[in-house]
Amino acid sequence: MSPTLMLNLEEEVSMVLFGVGFTMLLLHRNLIKKIMGMNIMDTAIYLFLAAKGYIEGRGVPILTDGVQDASAYINPVPSGLVLTGIVVSVSTTALMLALTIRLYERYHSLDLDQILISMKMEEEEQL
Amino acid sequence: MRVLLPVLWPIAAGAALLAYTGICNSKKKASPGTAGHGRITALDLIYIAALALETVLVIAAAAGGGSVRLLSLTDTLTLGLRVDSAGSLFAVLTSVMWLLTGIHSVAYMKHEEWAERFYGFYLIVVGVLVGIDYAADLVTLYVFYEMMTLTSLPLVLHELTKEAVQAGLKYLFYSVGGAFLALFGIFYLANVCGDLSFTAGGRFTAEMAAGAPLLLTAVFCMIVGFGTKAGMFPLHGWLPIAHPVAPAPASAVLSGVITKAGVMALVRIVYFLVGPDVLRGTWVQSAWMVLALMTVFMGSMLAYRENVFKKRLAYSTVSQASYVLFGLSLMNPVGFTGALTHVVFHSAIKTCLFLFAGAVIVVTGWKKVDQLRGLGRVMPLALACYTMASLALIGIPPFSGFVSKWYLATGSLASGTGALGFAGPVVLLISALLTAGYLLPIMIQGYFPGQDFDGKEIGERGLTKKEPSLLMLVPIVVLAAATLLLGCFPGPLVAFVEKIAAAVM
Amino acid sequence: MSFVQNFPFFSIIIAMFSGIVSSVLSGKKARAVSIAAITVTTVLSAFVLAFCLRTGQSYTYMMGHFPAPWGNEIRAGVLEGLTALLFGVVMFLSVVGGLRYTEEDVEPSKQNLFYIMIDLMLSSLLALIYTNDLFTAYVFVEINTIAGCGLIMMSQTGRSLTAAIRYMVMSSLGSGLFLIGLSLLYDVSGQLLMSPAKEAVARIVVDGSYQIPLLVIVAVVSVGLAIKSGLFPFHYWIPDTYGYATPTASAVLSGLVSKGYIFLLIKFFYRVIGTENAAHSHIINALFFFGVAGMMFGSLRAIMQTDTRKMIAYSSVAQIGYIYMGIGLGTQAGMIAAIFHIFSHGATKALLFISSVGLYKVSGDRTDFLALRGSAYRNRLAGAGFLVGALSMVGFPMLAGFISKLLFATSAFASPHKMLITLIALAVSTVLNAIYFLRLMIGLYRPTKSGSFVEPAPAERTGGGEEADRKGRGAKQAEKGAGPGSGSAAAAANPWTMRIAIVCFIILNLILGLFSQPIVSAITDGLAMFG
Repeated sequence: MSPTLMLNLEEEVSMVLFGVGFTMLLLHRNLIKKIMGMNIMDTAIYLFLAAKGYIEGRGVPILTDGVQDASAYINPVPSGLVLTGIVVSVSTTALMLALTIRLYERYHSLDLDQILISMKMEEEEQL
Repeated sequence: MRVLLPVLWPIAAGAALLAYTGICNSKKKASPGTAGHGRITALDLIYIAALALETVLVIAAAAGGGSVRLLSLTDTLTLGLRVDSAGSLFAVLTSVMWLLTGIHSVAYMKHEEWAERFYGFYLIVVGVLVGIDYAADLVTLYVFYEMMTLTSLPLVLHELTKEAVQAGLKYLFYSVGGAFLALFGIFYLANVCGDLSFTAGGRFTAEMAAGAPLLLTAVFCMIVGFGTKAGMFPLHGWLPIAHPVAPAPASAVLSGVITKAGVMALVRIVYFLVGPDVLRGTWVQSAWMVLALMTVFMGSMLAYRENVFKKRLAYSTVSQASYVLFGLSLMNPVGFTGALTHVVFHSAIKTCLFLFAGAVIVVTGWKKVDQLRGLGRVMPLALACYTMASLALIGIPPFSGFVSKWYLATGSLASGTGALGFAGPVVLLISALLTAGYLLPIMIQGYFPGQDFDGKEIGERGLTKKEPSLLMLVPIVVLAAATLLLGCFPGPLVAFVEKIAAAVM
Repeated sequence: MSFVQNFPFFSIIIAMFSGIVSSVLSGKKARAVSIAAITVTTVLSAFVLAFCLRTGQSYTYMMGHFPAPWGNEIRAGVLEGLTALLFGVVMFLSVVGGLRYTEEDVEPSKQNLFYIMIDLMLSSLLALIYTNDLFTAYVFVEINTIAGCGLIMMSQTGRSLTAAIRYMVMSSLGSGLFLIGLSLLYDVSGQLLMSPAKEAVARIVVDGSYQIPLLVIVAVVSVGLAIKSGLFPFHYWIPDTYGYATPTASAVLSGLVSKGYIFLLIKFFYRVIGTENAAHSHIINALFFFGVAGMMFGSLRAIMQTDTRKMIAYSSVAQIGYIYMGIGLGTQAGMIAAIFHIFSHGATKALLFISSVGLYKVSGDRTDFLALRGSAYRNRLAGAGFLVGALSMVGFPMLAGFISKLLFATSAFASPHKMLITLIALAVSTVLNAIYFLRLMIGLYRPTKSGSFVEPAPAERTGGGEEADRKGRGAKQAEKGAGPGSGSAAAAANPWTMRIAIVCFIILNLILGLFSQPIVSAITDGLAMFG
């Protein structure tokens, strides 16, 4: 087994999770599961970023005890990115959930195929 | 300004006419076209006056010469107009044919609806055609060429029946397809030589041609593409579909003049842009000759078997326009002279024949060839004109067709293209026989319907003598006289064309 | 520092704040604010363009007080200014042209939401154009997605809801890929700002280290943005999305939003990866291949449609294919052609969407070819607008589309390996374009049988929506050119705002077609500044 495989555990896990989330978002027919997939995908990226920023043996990048030396803290940029990313993904998730509620109220289903079928039927009735 | 006027005037006049009609239509319910049946209205007179003024403007531009640069599309591609002798020849021919057909159309359109719309587009098209003739470079020519397709479409669509729309679609798709085939060539040439303005004799030298590997392919694409309008095989299919459904004056100019726009485009590309020296003796020349000869033969053959009169004439156009293309493909001065004189002659002849067909439809309503028996008793004078035009088309001296065909045949023999050069006169001869075969029986049946004809059929069809109205008859007579006069005194025309030929080769 | 240099930042912030302010305003006021914001940002973009043209160079603008490797930056050059200007103009005309229909399609209580979405869309597009920071780009990509989704679902029909959820799903996939791509880039280069990242990437390439991650980054970012802009195999959300949104939304989404992502991708290639490296990677070839496939597929599907909106939408699929084909050529000329096509297609497609609505309105809100027969007589201006748009799409000389085709063809001659495929693809797709657009045009200009027009019943003209649609179906008024009737129908369908929009769009098309040279040289200069 390659030694680098053991060194980059977080990255590997995040890639696997990204794949899982991506596949769920792409292939699952259930809207709720799609949204879960999206969240898994986003979280995997945050894990990846957090792992990139982390430096063994250093502290949180918050000024403590007046230590100004940068070598005492981990890289703060990825943490900032993760925070921003979380905000973005929360709003996207909220929008998706709102849309899902709308669709459920209208078609009484969470299955995208089922929704499409009901939609076609509804349109034919109108004609 | 003098160059611009003959292009702008008819377009402006046509647009104004269309706008005026639109306003009229929204004000009163009845279409004004159907109002004055048979009477000549003020609108008709304005229309004729506009056409006459156009002819004057074109002749003035041809006499005055000059050039104008309109604008630049990109750094190298500009739009501009320039008067030269080849352009003048085509432009004057176009405007004269347009005027004569226009006079005829006033009478013809009394039997159709939406006459004003026809007038409007008819005026616009002549401006666009003059634009093609006076174009200073390939891009301008292409712009006007596309505009011609679009503006002449309403003429084909005029009756708006299902057949007309289908024919219009076919016309459109053939034209657009051909134009885009040509566009490929234009893009290539623009890439190779940058400046696309026309110079007599072409812009390419042998070295430049050697440096452009796809040049011949591009030229061939343009020949096939622009050949569409001239009805050259394999994209000839629109002609026999579009002509019968259009009103007769429209088919007359489609056949007599608009096919010549395709010829004009090819003259410009081969003799004014690429240069005959580059193309002579290449596969492009042979392929072009073969295509033209095939079309000549095929067109005559199909015309011979066709029963609908206007369709027969349309197939005849397919064949005759390819006489011109064959002459151009020879790339020697004699062939070139034959081609351009044939442009003039065929234009006059075919316009005359179609106007005659239109007169027959208006007066008797007959559309098929076998209905035309005994026509000589209804309209002897018109049939006499038809006879003259037919003889000219077949190429019997002293009528005009003989002169051009003589040049074509000698040019073919002198072209140095081997077997193809010898095959040329043979095909031309066979086609002339076929032409006689499909045109003359109408005349013979018309004057001498035979013993069994009298009696019953006359009673049924009401064969009383009834020449078409003067408005219809005059253009036919003038054109028929022109075919004879041009045949008897071809000297000035041939000299003029030979001067162009000397300049380009 | 000149005051003008603040303008990119101002325009982003103005658009964003007008969105925030609009949330407490009524629909009418929100509309006024939105139109004002678009106008102001467009004028500001014009100043930026003029400034960059005068100084002949681009500049970066530091946001906050952190210098280059840490802070956030905006960058403006000729290309950015030009794109922002044209996007602003198209946005303005789309909003103005669709005013009446927005009023009809969107619930009164939700009017202000629509304009908030428009403001956010504008702000995110401007940010995508101007930003020099990849993570900022990601954030605005998401804002753009959310705003786009909001625009789609505004009309609240079943179709638009499902279209919105599909759009969201596809967009989330795209954004996820984009985000992982830039995380990986941050991993290998340690940079998120474009210019330092480019230096780092250049070092990596010289080293020969991290070759595979770099390839993965290019692939993931390209695919992500391709999904979001609807390149061929990922296009299936396009027809429903563009087909069932309100006209303004369709025009903006099709004309601008997908182009914003493409612009970002071009920036990514130029400003981060470097054109040389991008041209050498096989990703470019994949984009080229899918672009060509999209041109064919989109055109073929468009021919099969009988519904005008779907036909226009599928034509968008084909046009996106053109742009990717240009990018895929991997040459400077190809890129210029692609960028010019972004502009020309933006102007043309928005014109088609806006003017086609004018035609539906005089045909009883129906969109199939049969119902539209002869509608160009009933609504002449919309007919003329549609004609110009269709001819430009087909590549009629003197219009924008012709110059695009000319540029594509010229650039094809410069890349010998892809020349033949490009030319054949151009020729075939042009002919296919001609078939479906001209077929529809003839239908539009063809009176119905025996010269009678299908006139919508009066009820239908005043009230929009589905009931009126049902009532009016099949109502015929046999009188040809029914004088005052047709006039008032056209007047009802063409509010003056729409007339102005259509006329301006036509003029814009003519400008792009006739005076393309300055624009093309500006694009060339702008790309050189990207360098």
